[in-house]
Amino acid sequence: MSLLDDPARLREHVAAFRAAHPRKDVRAQFGESMRALMERRPDVVAVTADLMHATGLAGLHATFADRLVNVGIAEQNMTGVAAGLAACGKLPVVCGYAAFTTLRAVEQAKVDCAYNELKVILAGLACGLSYGVGGPTHQTYEDVAIMRAIPNMIVVAPSDPVELGHALEAAADLPDATPVYLRLGRGPEHVLNRPGAPFAIGRAVRLAEGRDLCIVAHGAMVLEALLAADLLRAEGIAAEVLNMHTVKPIDRDAILEAAEHVRAMVVVEEHSVVGGLGSAVLEVLERGHAFPVARVGIEDAYPPIGPTLELREALGLSGPHIARRARDLLGDVPRTRAVRGG
Amino acid sequence: MTQQPASILDNGFAPLGLDALRETARINRLDVAAMFMAAGNGHFGSCYSCTEIVTALYFAVMRVDATRPDWPDRDRFVLGKGHAAPTLYSALIRRGFIPEAWIHEFEARVGARLMTHPSRRYQPGIDSSQGALGHGLSNACGMALAGRLDGRDYRVYAVLGDGELHEGSVWEAAAFAPKHRLDNLVAIVDRNGLCVDGRADEVLPLEPLADRWTSFGWDVVEADGHDLAALLPALDVPRFGGSGRPRVVIARTVKGRGVSFMEDVRGWHADVIAPAQYEALRSELREVLR
Repeated sequence: MSLLDDPARLREHVAAFRAAHPRKDVRAQFGESMRALMERRPDVVAVTADLMHATGLAGLHATFADRLVNVGIAEQNMTGVAAGLAACGKLPVVCGYAAFTTLRAVEQAKVDCAYNELKVILAGLACGLSYGVGGPTHQTYEDVAIMRAIPNMIVVAPSDPVELGHALEAAADLPDATPVYLRLGRGPEHVLNRPGAPFAIGRAVRLAEGRDLCIVAHGAMVLEALLAADLLRAEGIAAEVLNMHTVKPIDRDAILEAAEHVRAMVVVEEHSVVGGLGSAVLEVLERGHAFPVARVGIEDAYPPIGPTLELREALGLSGPHIARRARDLLGDVPRTRAVRGG
Repeated sequence: MTQQPASILDNGFAPLGLDALRETARINRLDVAAMFMAAGNGHFGSCYSCTEIVTALYFAVMRVDATRPDWPDRDRFVLGKGHAAPTLYSALIRRGFIPEAWIHEFEARVGARLMTHPSRRYQPGIDSSQGALGHGLSNACGMALAGRLDGRDYRVYAVLGDGELHEGSVWEAAAFAPKHRLDNLVAIVDRNGLCVDGRADEVLPLEPLADRWTSFGWDVVEADGHDLAALLPALDVPRFGGSGRPRVVIARTVKGRGVSFMEDVRGWHADVIAPAQYEALRSELREVLR
């Protein structure tokens, strides 16, 4: 019986895979990364709406009291003040929860930051199901769709706590007059990247090579994509894994390059299947593709509440589910792919 | 108590006296009408209630320099009621930021550089693109805070509509500014009493407006918003060493001020102007308002 179809062996394998990637708390990492950034860049001002503790910034208060602005529970003012700071030469980092930063204050994100061509980093923690027990008010699965529809907005969803640090630094150093939405988790997440690994906004990272299938993912789903590739190897399926940490501007070259050889593509996101990474990949492929594309994400309905890991599992946002979906997809496709017509 | 305007501007521009300010306000209203004729319609009422406020700021109070629109030490201006942009455009034209010829392309074609709402993407001298109500005061707070963090002595002015005060976000910012002791910030409420659908206070009550600002911790000054002599001291706050409180000037104004058939008429918030009305308007604006 194949590994994928043997529940006991699969459970063991998955546990071992995850154990090989120790977890780190996203809030703690964000606080550490902000400290490093604020030490390096005196122009950085953190702006938060009563989420100083919840975003890991509380420890910075003693050192950076003047540069840590807590506006109270008032997200519109938070982003508006940040834009004003940016207009006068500061580099504001808005530190909030993804739900409120992207939905409550979406017009400030669009008008005050993006339209005004101001460099504001909008860090949204507790994305996706990372606050799963909070229910749909705090679960955030429409943020990527909303933010990437705003012109002059960059959208980055780092794959782990290490890449969070790299993304924050890269966003701060982008020369462009453009806001950057950083989509971040909340609790402990597995670490898969090495500190100092190369990172560039807009450039996907190929984490595994394979000619049969390409799995594209961002955020915490990258580790699940790697797990799926690992499981598929036992099935004789070679899967490429693309860490598409930047959803906008998306790395078209990486997708089109994979499209040259794969027999199927699976896009995985802890986000609604409406308008997120899956949609962004299909937009790149809109001129036609000779292979099936499956989107694994949150269906267009309010998910139940639940602890993050169990909830991801229940909704199919896990390595084994991704692997089965890919296997099914490839089962429908001939072994050799017809060459695409012009 | 307050400084004279002459001591404020140090960029080579001599602040105008009252007579010259009145004449500048007259020209501003004519510029605005010319823009709206180019477009076929416009926010006459909303523009004409803040003519004196904007004129006082740009010609006697604010430290700005058309040769250096990005000068870090310039005073900042945020037009929260962005639909009154033509009043601001006229001030920027007459101060040399924007070419006068742009008047005739207001909203007139695809790619026109002057449009209904101010945009820092397309117009020199604009510190903040506005248009969606309830954003301006927050933006101004951020600008004032940056000035304090950097030890710069610029001041920040934000003109808000009274109808705009219906937006809850304004009160988020109103609570923020006193907490951060932003006494380099002046908000001016253009209290013309009308919003699009009628009397602002009937649509949603604003009074007791001065008490509301006072209770939020602001230094409240009430003034006739068309009386330049009253506006100048109200708008002039110390660059440093002020009261520790942001100032709000509640400027009592008349929507459509200066054109008899537009004054305090709801429908002239924004409307189409006929050629005969345009001629009547120009005829009424032959003399300065007193």
